[in-house]
Amino acid sequence: MPRSFAHIWFVAPAVVLMIVILIAPILVAATLSFTDYSLGNTTADWIGWKNYDRIVSRSSFQKMFVATFTYVAVVVPLAVGLGLGAALLINSLQRFGDFYKTIYFLPVMAALLAMAIVWEFTLHPTVGLVNETLAMSCGTALEAIPFFAQGCARNFPLWLGDKDYAIWTVAFIGVWQGFGFNMVLYLAGLTSVPRELYHAAEMDGARSGWERFRLVTWPMLGPTTVFVVTITCIRSFQVFDTVEAFYPQGGGPSKSVYVMMFAIFEKGIQQNLMGLGSAVTIIFLVFVLFLTLIQRWLIERRVHYA
Amino acid sequence: MKALLTTVAVVGLLSGPALAEDKIVVEFGYPYSHLFDVTYERILPKFYAENPNIEIKFRATYESYEDGTNTILREAVAGNLPDVTMQGLNRQAILVEKGIARSLEPFIAEEAAFEKDGYHKAMLDLGTFENQVYGLPFSVSLPVGYYNMDVLKAGGIDKLPQTWDEVVAACETMQANGVRNPVFWGWNITGNWFLQALMWTQEKPTVEGTKVSLDSAEALTSLETMKKIFRGCEMQNLEWKAALSSFSAGEIGMMFWSTSALGAVERSQGDFELKTGPFPGIEGTPKGLPAGGNSAMLVSTSEDPAELEAAWKWLKFITSGEGAADVARTTGYMPPNKAANEIILADFYQQNPNKQTAVDQLPLLREWQAYPGDNGLAITQVIYDGIEGIVVGDHDDMTELQEELSEEVGDLLN
Repeated sequence: MPRSFAHIWFVAPAVVLMIVILIAPILVAATLSFTDYSLGNTTADWIGWKNYDRIVSRSSFQKMFVATFTYVAVVVPLAVGLGLGAALLINSLQRFGDFYKTIYFLPVMAALLAMAIVWEFTLHPTVGLVNETLAMSCGTALEAIPFFAQGCARNFPLWLGDKDYAIWTVAFIGVWQGFGFNMVLYLAGLTSVPRELYHAAEMDGARSGWERFRLVTWPMLGPTTVFVVTITCIRSFQVFDTVEAFYPQGGGPSKSVYVMMFAIFEKGIQQNLMGLGSAVTIIFLVFVLFLTLIQRWLIERRVHYA
Repeated sequence: MKALLTTVAVVGLLSGPALAEDKIVVEFGYPYSHLFDVTYERILPKFYAENPNIEIKFRATYESYEDGTNTILREAVAGNLPDVTMQGLNRQAILVEKGIARSLEPFIAEEAAFEKDGYHKAMLDLGTFENQVYGLPFSVSLPVGYYNMDVLKAGGIDKLPQTWDEVVAACETMQANGVRNPVFWGWNITGNWFLQALMWTQEKPTVEGTKVSLDSAEALTSLETMKKIFRGCEMQNLEWKAALSSFSAGEIGMMFWSTSALGAVERSQGDFELKTGPFPGIEGTPKGLPAGGNSAMLVSTSEDPAELEAAWKWLKFITSGEGAADVARTTGYMPPNKAANEIILADFYQQNPNKQTAVDQLPLLREWQAYPGDNGLAITQVIYDGIEGIVVGDHDDMTELQEELSEEVGDLLN
């Protein structure tokens, strides 16, 4: 049989594209992360691990890790849980299912940057809808609750400007924006659960809804859950647009919302410090890669692919 | 394929020069759309009336001066610079150092009566590097106090404060009389402008040579003054746009900010009496104040004399005569140009006494300094973060904060 090189031609386009648009930029970033290159300069000096050293020792970068992990830890479980809950509820409806689907999916379709501006108005400390509504409780029985009493005496929280609230507010918006997408994925997953399994479970004594969910629905949704959790995790790590819209300078009060993507943007784009920005990027990539690997390993061991 | 390429080329050849002959396009970028959109809307028709064969193409506006400088640096690397750009007064040096801005001397040499056009010497100096003019100032501002007289009266204050101690005392009286939000002090304004304002108040430059004078006694006094204002007035940590809208809505009694926002505040102002007053001092009146604002720089990469001539015409139009007068009419900025200030706007300031405050402070005008080196913007951020720490209550010991800041800034200067 004559040797054919056809297989090389078949895979070459994919490999070349992968190298050019994926591997090469990462290698460039990795190289830049060891230099002090600043945009507009013609030269750069090799400074070894100094950029990484700064990231580990500076307090602003410690705040970056705290903010990023708080955001991920809050948004992932809530967005996945609410997505699943909404999907189950909608699935059980006879009518109006499409109506609710549309409502929950709206925030996903809207551009988050545009929505951030709407939220900025809504959460405005004095003339915003949220605090105006809360202020309506003043003079009623609600004032017995310390939160309202304090709010009425001086002012209701600065949702975006108070360092105790900022990260939770941004995380709330992340959940609001993200769970509709998970709901759609779960709805698709639910359609693939065979009806017969429910009947069989019922015959075997699983009478309550909770039992049926625990024994049939949840295990059958395993593959969907793996996908949903992975994608939500990565999306949460990538949060940027809300932070940039709310806090174009500095990443929130006392840097409490200084997430990794914003740090990359601030160093590399806003301050022209390409070297430092690249170093944060590389750390970001390592984190996401590491988490994805752990997650796949943990969950796949227990997932039953039908 | 070849035929298609040929067609494209032919079409390109036909349309390209035809368009260019009709109009010379000058690409132009400017910051702060909420302040300047109205200004350029008024200037543009006047410019077109005089120069029908030039078209001004506006690029997306810069969010801030920092953003403007960065955009130009990026565009210089990518090779798609505009022809004229408006840059913060403190960010001109970096563009000159990196060889992006072009000297305006050849154009000035051809203008017969340039000096007579009346650019203020002090303001022209802000854009002069090694005896060459690179930037013509377009709008100049100074920090002032904005007072909601209705809130002040309700709070029991009838005299505008002259020092920060009086401001804090006024806050306490107002709070005792039920005013919830007595003050907003614009610490978060671009380029650490308000820190520099407190430094110049004590006649101390923030940047001396290649050193940032954060370890000086004056810097400590500045930080202590800020702490006194933030804590004494229980100032909320408002984002500046939110603060401006709260003030316009009549919820804040005193706002310390750049005079530049006066036009925007007056346009969206609720039903109350607005007065501006001079920027308070630490002891008595300030000895100096930093100039804010922006200037026009030529960054065109074109070598075509006709295009450069068109860019110069636009640059000159907006910084002198009628163009400059519109700056004062639409914003709270002062035009950099005596001709505009004294002839065209002769009775303007009598009708707009609020805009007069900054003009009265003109003798105090000092340089708005940029931090040296590649880390200049990062230093701005470090100081911003430090001051924010005072506002949100992270820092109580100003001596400690001063040490922390000088150390971190010193580290970035190396």
